[in-house]
Amino acid sequence: MALDSGLLARRWVPFSSERSQLRRKFGRIRITPMALFWTLIILILVIPILLFLSVAFSPRLMSQGHQWFTLASFKPVFSGSYGIALLHSLLLGIVASLGATVIALSMAWLVLRTDTPARIIWNSTIFALFLAPSYLIALGWQRLFEQRGVLEIMGFYVEPIRNLLYGPVGICMVLMVKGLPFAYLVIANAMRGLGEEFEQAVRVHGGSRVEAFKVMANLLTPSIFSAMAIVFAEAISDFGVASTLSSVGHFSVATYQLYQGINSIPVNFPVSAATSITLLSLVLLAIFAQNRALRGRSFRTLSGRTRPATITKLSFFGKFSTSTYIIVLLLMVLGIPIFGAVSASMLQGLGSLLSHYSINFSNYSRVLHSRFLRNPLIYSTQMSLITATLSVGLAAIASKVLTSIKPSKSKKFVDFFLLAAVALPGIVFAIGYIFTYNLRFINDLGLHIYGTSFLLALAYSANALPSTSRSLVGNMGQIQESMMDAARVHGSKPARAWIDVTMPLIARPLLIAWLLTFSGTLLELPVSELLYPPGSPPVAVGIELSLAGFDYGGGTAIEVLSILWALVVVGIAFFLFNRFVPPGWKRLGKLK
Amino acid sequence: MEEIGEVKVSLVNAYRVVIKGAVKRYGSLAALNDFDLTIEPGTFTVLLGPSGSGKSTLIRSIAGIERLDSGTIHFGDREIAGEGFHMAPEKRDLAMVFQDYALWPHMTSYENVGYALKRRNLDSTESDRRINEALDRVGLSTKGSNYPFQLSGGEQQRVALARAIVGRPSLLLFDEPLSNLDADLRERLRVEIATLTREIGATACYITHDQSEAFALADTIGVLQSGTLQQIGKPEEIYRNPANRFVTAFTGVSGSFLGTVESATAGKAIVVLGQYRIECRTSNSLKVGDLAEVLIRPSATSFTQSGSNTLPAIVLDVAYRGRGYEHVVECDFGVISSVFSPQSVARGSRVEIYVDPEGCIAFPTDKAFSPGAVTQSLIGIK
Repeated sequence: MALDSGLLARRWVPFSSERSQLRRKFGRIRITPMALFWTLIILILVIPILLFLSVAFSPRLMSQGHQWFTLASFKPVFSGSYGIALLHSLLLGIVASLGATVIALSMAWLVLRTDTPARIIWNSTIFALFLAPSYLIALGWQRLFEQRGVLEIMGFYVEPIRNLLYGPVGICMVLMVKGLPFAYLVIANAMRGLGEEFEQAVRVHGGSRVEAFKVMANLLTPSIFSAMAIVFAEAISDFGVASTLSSVGHFSVATYQLYQGINSIPVNFPVSAATSITLLSLVLLAIFAQNRALRGRSFRTLSGRTRPATITKLSFFGKFSTSTYIIVLLLMVLGIPIFGAVSASMLQGLGSLLSHYSINFSNYSRVLHSRFLRNPLIYSTQMSLITATLSVGLAAIASKVLTSIKPSKSKKFVDFFLLAAVALPGIVFAIGYIFTYNLRFINDLGLHIYGTSFLLALAYSANALPSTSRSLVGNMGQIQESMMDAARVHGSKPARAWIDVTMPLIARPLLIAWLLTFSGTLLELPVSELLYPPGSPPVAVGIELSLAGFDYGGGTAIEVLSILWALVVVGIAFFLFNRFVPPGWKRLGKLK
Repeated sequence: MEEIGEVKVSLVNAYRVVIKGAVKRYGSLAALNDFDLTIEPGTFTVLLGPSGSGKSTLIRSIAGIERLDSGTIHFGDREIAGEGFHMAPEKRDLAMVFQDYALWPHMTSYENVGYALKRRNLDSTESDRRINEALDRVGLSTKGSNYPFQLSGGEQQRVALARAIVGRPSLLLFDEPLSNLDADLRERLRVEIATLTREIGATACYITHDQSEAFALADTIGVLQSGTLQQIGKPEEIYRNPANRFVTAFTGVSGSFLGTVESATAGKAIVVLGQYRIECRTSNSLKVGDLAEVLIRPSATSFTQSGSNTLPAIVLDVAYRGRGYEHVVECDFGVISSVFSPQSVARGSRVEIYVDPEGCIAFPTDKAFSPGAVTQSLIGIK
């Protein structure tokens, strides 16, 4: 049968043109990955934060009081127990940030600019510190120095140290330890970019060593301010130390006050929101102060011509003293907490009123055989897998938006909310979730997700998203836009171009971000504590429950097994990465 | 495959590119301002302009990387960009060589080149043959397994060139591909670009701010300023009959003087500079008594003993250029650079400079009579 080409033309041409017209008209409202991204960001980040914080000013808006606008909720924040806790947090934040920055500066100089032998072990220590939450560090110290703790059982007299540990000194020390890796990375990165030409320029123009040092110190000022701001923010937002040393030592801090507030009946959400806003303001104030201090002082020292700095050759005495310093520091920050946790986990009967103790692996055996002790680890592993995957996916998109060279409203919006969320303490985040997802209108919408694993996964992801995004921004920003453009003009659709070009280029940073998020979620405390579904405690809650039941051996065994499990996952992931990814991918983003 | 003389020509379906009323704004800045351009199929068109003239925006809009605010782009009869319509870059069947090469660092040279063949859906044997042929054509047949970081800058750009030609696209775009290379390499790669592009027969659009590169490569040159096309034509036409002062200045001037028009007829004018009279070419817009700016092409000056159209000057500087010497001279009305002579003339010598009327173009101006300022600003523009 002969085809009527005219008929075909009549059939197809108008349809094609109609479709083209429709596409022209509605092309911009189709569901895209970006639309999905924005929906998720609004749902998990923007709504919970805004709804909760708005209650501080307008209790009636969310049926939490009678007034549409009031500042009355802020009054209790600055008086009584809340006021004292806030002052404590502020002072602890300042001291911890100064201490951590000074130590980080000395360590960065020793590791990057000298040949001190102990520098080799430092880099791995830094990553171990990143993995260890503050409550685990605090618990390690606690197990050693508490009454009838490991050291007392071993016959040591440790009361004076215990008194220091359960007060501002001990809390400040742990906060300093927790802030140290952040401060170190910021300062070390800046120091890496400071090539020897700056020193040489001072010297060849008649400057002494001291003057050269002053110039170097000046060039490092931006990173020093940044390090202080980060440690301050981390310290005043910390909940791990608050829930351990602070609560046992009765030295109140703002985050623990918030926790107690949310556990009281009836819950006073407006005052909690006001406390959260105050805490958030302090963090933002630190970031603002850092920006003010750096105005006009953001030195761009990194260029293609930067020459590596000269390494100072230390004398024997120099090597000995610096190595001793590093080793003592290592013992303080990791050695003692690890010894505390491991020894406690191997002591049978710790926490009980027994007068004889034995060293064995029975606590580990109990954890592996008791469903009650084992299940938190399995549950947290599942949640961590979901969280790491979801938040790294979202973070990759967010960092792409943030590093786009085109100025846009999306970029400003993401930037603001991620910055605000970085500054938002985990405990505030969790309370925001409790508040928002218990609201009547949310329930009326059919969103009955409070107390479910689904909500916990969302909260974990939202909590991890800001820091994960920030960790990817640097790498994403280094990708020349022309490489994606080149993939597009040579025939690839956007998704294909992303898989072929962007993903390989940031494969290693993506893996590291995934592993950090996985490990962080596995041991996460504040969100877990407040949002875990009934009957399914995550690891951190499992440890707390064991400790609350005076099963110190079981609790520390879960703690040690969790850290070992995180390290095993890290090991497996790197093995698979090195074994299976194409050779070209491995070279990029490699740590030197 | 057709053979024209000694050059083998693979004829692809070269596009005719038609841009009409293109507008692209970045905030308050108009990068393209009601821009019209037609590029004939199979020709090599160079768009020449200073930074900020809109040439990058234009080439990126043709590639589909940028969306026009308004206006249309057609490849032949096919509309690829129009009101509310934007065809994705991957559907446009073109290739592009980027200023920063844009090689993918995780892929070898072979993989980088092969990437552009994916859309052709060739079998692996044919694909392999074409990739090796393209690498061979740019002199990198032994570097297929090297990663970009293992190649020099020139080699990286040759891989980018091989990637662009391997798929035999209908349109080849070049975004200042030679600007990151040293002088010697630029010249060698320029020749490769010119021959390879003509061999595959694709329409080529090349942007640059370097007028010597533009004149060496182009069948057609378009000169851009502030998002508008100032003039388009063959290189000789642009050089001999520039449409305005901007085109003249941007395509090579060794000096300029301000004077008064004594007579102006049929494209010729006599401009009075103090006690001297200089004959030059001009558009018909000059009238007797007008203030005029005389722009002098580098090729229009030479040393002479005496005669008409000459100016007395003192040699300020001399530079050896291999085939001879280039001098900078100062006369009463300003400075002229690039005065060529096979022999060197010593600094401080008093000389007579002949100015060829054909390479001397007068434009109306409303500038104040400050010859020093004008000529100083033009030193270095050749």
